[in-house]
Parts: sequence; structure tokens; C-alpha cells
Amino acid sequence: MMTTRSVTVARTADIKAGELAAFEVEGVRIAVANANGRFFAIDDTCTHEQCSLTEEGTLDGTVVTCGCHGAQFDVTTGQVLAPPAFEPVKAYPLRVEQGAVVIEI
Amino acid sequence: MPPGFVIIGASLAGGVAAATLRQDGFDGDVVLIGAEAQPPYERPPLSKQYLRGEAPFEKALVRPAGFYEQNRIETRFNTRATRVDPIRRTVALDTGSPVHYDKLLIASGVRNRRPPIPGLDLPGVFDLRSVSDADALRSRIVSGRKAAVVGMGFIGCEVAASLRQKGVEVVSVDPSPTPLFRVLGADVGRVMAAVHQDHGVQAVFGDVVTRFEGGAGVERVITRSGRRFDCDFAVVGVGVEPVIDFVAGSGIDTAHGVPVDEYCRTAFEDVYAAGDVANHYHPIFRKRMRVEHWQNAMQQGAAAARSMLGKRQPYDAIHWFWSDQYDVNLQYAGFHHEWDQMVVRGRLDDRRFLAFYLNQGRVDAVVGLNRGKDIRRAMALIKSRDVVDPRQLADEDIDLRSLAQTQITGDQK
Ligand SMILES: Cc1cc2nc3c(=O)[nH]c(=O)nc-3n(C[C@H](O)[C@H](O)[C@H](O)COP(=O)(O)OP(=O)(O)OC[C@H]3O[C@@H](n4cnc5c(N)ncnc54)[C@H](O)[C@@H]3O)c2cc1C
Ligand code: FES
Repeated sequence: MMTTRSVTVARTADIKAGELAAFEVEGVRIAVANANGRFFAIDDTCTHEQCSLTEEGTLDGTVVTCGCHGAQFDVTTGQVLAPPAFEPVKAYPLRVEQGAVVIEI
Repeated sequence: MPPGFVIIGASLAGGVAAATLRQDGFDGDVVLIGAEAQPPYERPPLSKQYLRGEAPFEKALVRPAGFYEQNRIETRFNTRATRVDPIRRTVALDTGSPVHYDKLLIASGVRNRRPPIPGLDLPGVFDLRSVSDADALRSRIVSGRKAAVVGMGFIGCEVAASLRQKGVEVVSVDPSPTPLFRVLGADVGRVMAAVHQDHGVQAVFGDVVTRFEGGAGVERVITRSGRRFDCDFAVVGVGVEPVIDFVAGSGIDTAHGVPVDEYCRTAFEDVYAAGDVANHYHPIFRKRMRVEHWQNAMQQGAAAARSMLGKRQPYDAIHWFWSDQYDVNLQYAGFHHEWDQMVVRGRLDDRRFLAFYLNQGRVDAVVGLNRGKDIRRAMALIKSRDVVDPRQLADEDIDLRSLAQTQITGDQK
């Protein structure tokens, strides 16, 4: 069975509300979203054509819209909400511990 | 008997409409009629990833293969509607007996213009609309071959880029002073000309191809000014026209496509239109328009389906499209034909900018290179119809979202 590890990637104060920030964790670029004080982690790479959601995308509530062709994902689950992407992005369990953002990868 | 809805055109608008009918609980019959052999698929990859052999056809399907059967959508592919009779409520087909409808959606899209250029029918002269067109063209793509691209609109530009990316030598000919001139104007057009030239396209402007010459296949193109360019194959992209011949004479209006109101309704009861063919009234711009964009076909297909189900939601999305050429991601939002002022944010030469098209101080549209995020932010401003200060529009330090004074409600992203 695959084992997961907990990795601290940032402090909550580093990611402004309504924004995304990307972190490289074990070779994977992960986007952490601050959805009005709730934090979520998903793959940063859009499944449509591999644009970075952090660099190109915009966050509205819990919906991230990829800036390249407009695909939308739910940051809480990684699910596709609007094409042209049709494969979900991976979502990672995340917890906040004393101001630190900890991701299970 | 439950009502039966018929859709003519099994592409993006028609396919999404059929899916939306089921998704929104419609229980009657749905018949989806399409002239092509394939189930609905998306065309954007045909000039890009699919043409370059980077993505399989399955990735372009609007819905997975088994979707229609699973959702009790009766599909009639390889079948052409030949006549619509809105009094008897029937659609005549080229094969089999006519089908009856209680409500009809026309989603027949556009076809490529075929200008009367001598030699256009020579083998090796291609145009690009369908997956079979893309397959035929793709089979000619071999590094080192020479291609002539006739017309540098969006399709011509994207094909030229894909061909260069595959190592094909490209000469392009367009009568305008720049690529994309008619839509985007000279300033943005010059930037795109430089992009193509930097990637090795021999781009000729202000000239027209008047003849294709060759024996068993095309060997060269001849222009009005007497230029001759040798080529192994040619791709023609000189514009499209709405597919309305099967509607003509039915009493349904066919002025510049199929005119519809903001509920996708024609003047004929129970006849609707959506997608590239629909000349639709836009409640925000307060005029009729016909656009040829992926997002419009998808959203308007869904809007038409809801309207057929009796929901009164006007279709008022701000139009948006993209075009990928090399490493340039071009995006456009809004609607314009002409403009009395253009405002640029960023520098054109950096190939990372926004250009706003204004009329009487209002932003009608914006085009951007490699700035998708800002295009989205500009959409609220376009929707607001507010008069803006051009200096603020040009100022990189001012968030575009703050320029719309009128608060927009709704789901515009
Ligand atoms: C190569 C290419 C690249 C593109 N790239 C982009 C892009 O990057 N971004 C973007 O925004 N847009 C792009 N577009 C435009 C986009 O694909 C169209 O806006 C979209 O396909 C319109 O969908 P539609 O369903 O309205 O019409 P269409 O896709 O034109 O489909 C109409 C369908 O109706 C069928 N039909 C017509 N008449 C009949 C009849 N009498 N009976 C039965 N069937 C009939 C046709 O065979 C066709 O399958 C591109 C288009 C092409 C061709
Ligand atoms: S890369 Fe994200 S929508 Fe295309």
C-alpha cells in the first residue's frame, strides 16, 4: 500500500484570501487555495493542457478557473466544473496546524 | 404521447443541447441529426493538438461514446436534414422518412467558403472544418515539405503554426496588411505577423492567391501580383458561411444565419437556433450578432435547451474565445466590429498585453496575448457597459475588476 507523508508547505499568512500559491512537493507542483480562510490543496497543473492554475488561474470562492482556456475545477474535491478539461485534478488532504499548512502527499 | 424534440446538427451546440435536455429532466423523445459520421466532437484541436498528432480523437468528443444511448438520445449520424416544414412540423431527411417534431433546434453551424479560384479542386488543396478534413491534411504533414496557407484568419494562423511546429516550410498569403486584420486590427495584427515570421513563416500580405497549379496534385500557387510559390500541399482558410440551405423557403428567416431572440427562439413558434448558425439578439450589447466560438456554441446550446423546456433565462454571456499559436495564447472577450479608440495595457512588442476596443468610452471587447487572467477580469467591465477612463484602463497597477462600477450579478466568470 502507498503510504502518505505530511509536508508543511507554507504558513497560512503567506497565502492571501482569494488567492492560490504553488509549492513543489516531491516533484509535484501543488496549488494551495485560500478560499476565504479555508485552505485546500490540488494539483497545480490543469488537466486540459498543463497550464499552471496558480500562474494563470483565478479563484472565486472554491472555484478555480484556468486562465488558458477557461476550464473550472472545484478546489475542495478537484472535480471538473466546466470544460474544456474533463479529467479532475488530484486533491490532497490538507490541515492547518498552528498557522502552518500541512499537506498529505 | 410525450413531446419529441429534434435537433439538426450534431456538433458542439447540438450535442450539448441534447445532453442538457436530459440533464434538466426532459423525458420525451430526443432525436439528434448530424451529417457527419462521428458523434459530436470539438473542433479546436483539429488545427492544433489533433493536427499535430498529439491528441487522440477520443479526447475531442463532446460526450463519451456511449452517452447518447445511455441517455435515450436517438442519434441519426451520416444523415442530412434537407427541408424543414414549420407548419407541418416535420424535418425531411436525405435517408429515410421525415421526422416529426414538437420543438426543433437548428444547430447546423457554418461551412467553409469555397471561393471560385481555379485549381481549388486539385488534389492536395485542403480546407479544415471536420475531423476527416484534419485526417486528410495530417497525412500530408512531413517535416521538410512545403505548404501554402491561403488566408491568415484564425484557422490559417493556427494551421500555419502547427505546420511550422512539425517542420513544414510555410508560405502564407493574405490580402490584408496583417494576419487577423479584420477582427483585431493593424496593431495587434502586426504583432501576430512578427510571431509567425519569427517562427519561419514566409508571410505575404496585401496579395491574393488567384490560381492553384499542378498536374496530378497541386504544385504551386500563383498570386494576383504574379508571385509563384511552389508547394507540396495547400490549406485554404478564407472564411465561413452559415449552413441554412435546408431552411430556405420554409418561412423561417435566414438573414445572416438564423435570427433568434435572447431565448434562442426564431419568430416561428417552437423553432430555436444556437451555435455558429444563430444570429442572436444580445441583451447586453442590444443588437444581433453571430459568432463562431467554442464557448458560445456550448453555452448557447445549453441555453436553447433550457428555453425549449420553458425556462425564461435570457442568454447574455459575454462571448469569449481563444486561439493558441506556437507559445502564444491569444484570448478575446466581448464583441466588436469597429472601434473609435484602442487602449493598450502592457507593451505590444512584449507579446504580453491587453488591447481594449472602445466605442464612446465603453469597452466593447478586449484581446490579450498570454494574459488569460486579465481577460477574465475585463469581462465584468465589458458586461457593465460603464464608461471608463482610458488612462486607468492602460495602467497596469489598477485592477481591472475595480473599473466596473455597476455591480454585476450572475455567474459570469
Ligand atoms: C479547425 C477549427 C479550430 C477551431 N478552434 C477554435 C478555438 O481555438 N477556439 C474557439 O473558441 N473556437 C474554435 N473553433 C470554432 C468552434 O469549433 C465552433 O464555434 C463550434 O464548432 C461551433 O459549433 P456548432 O455546433 O454551432 O456548429 P458546427 O461545429 O459547425 O457544427 C454543425 C454541425 O451540423 C451539421 N449539419 C449542418 N447541416 C446539416 C444538415 N442539414 N443536417 C444534418 N446536419 C447538418 C454539420 O455537419 C456539423 O457537424 C474552431 C473551429 C475549427 C473548424
Ligand atoms: S490548460 Fe487549463 S483550460 Fe486549457
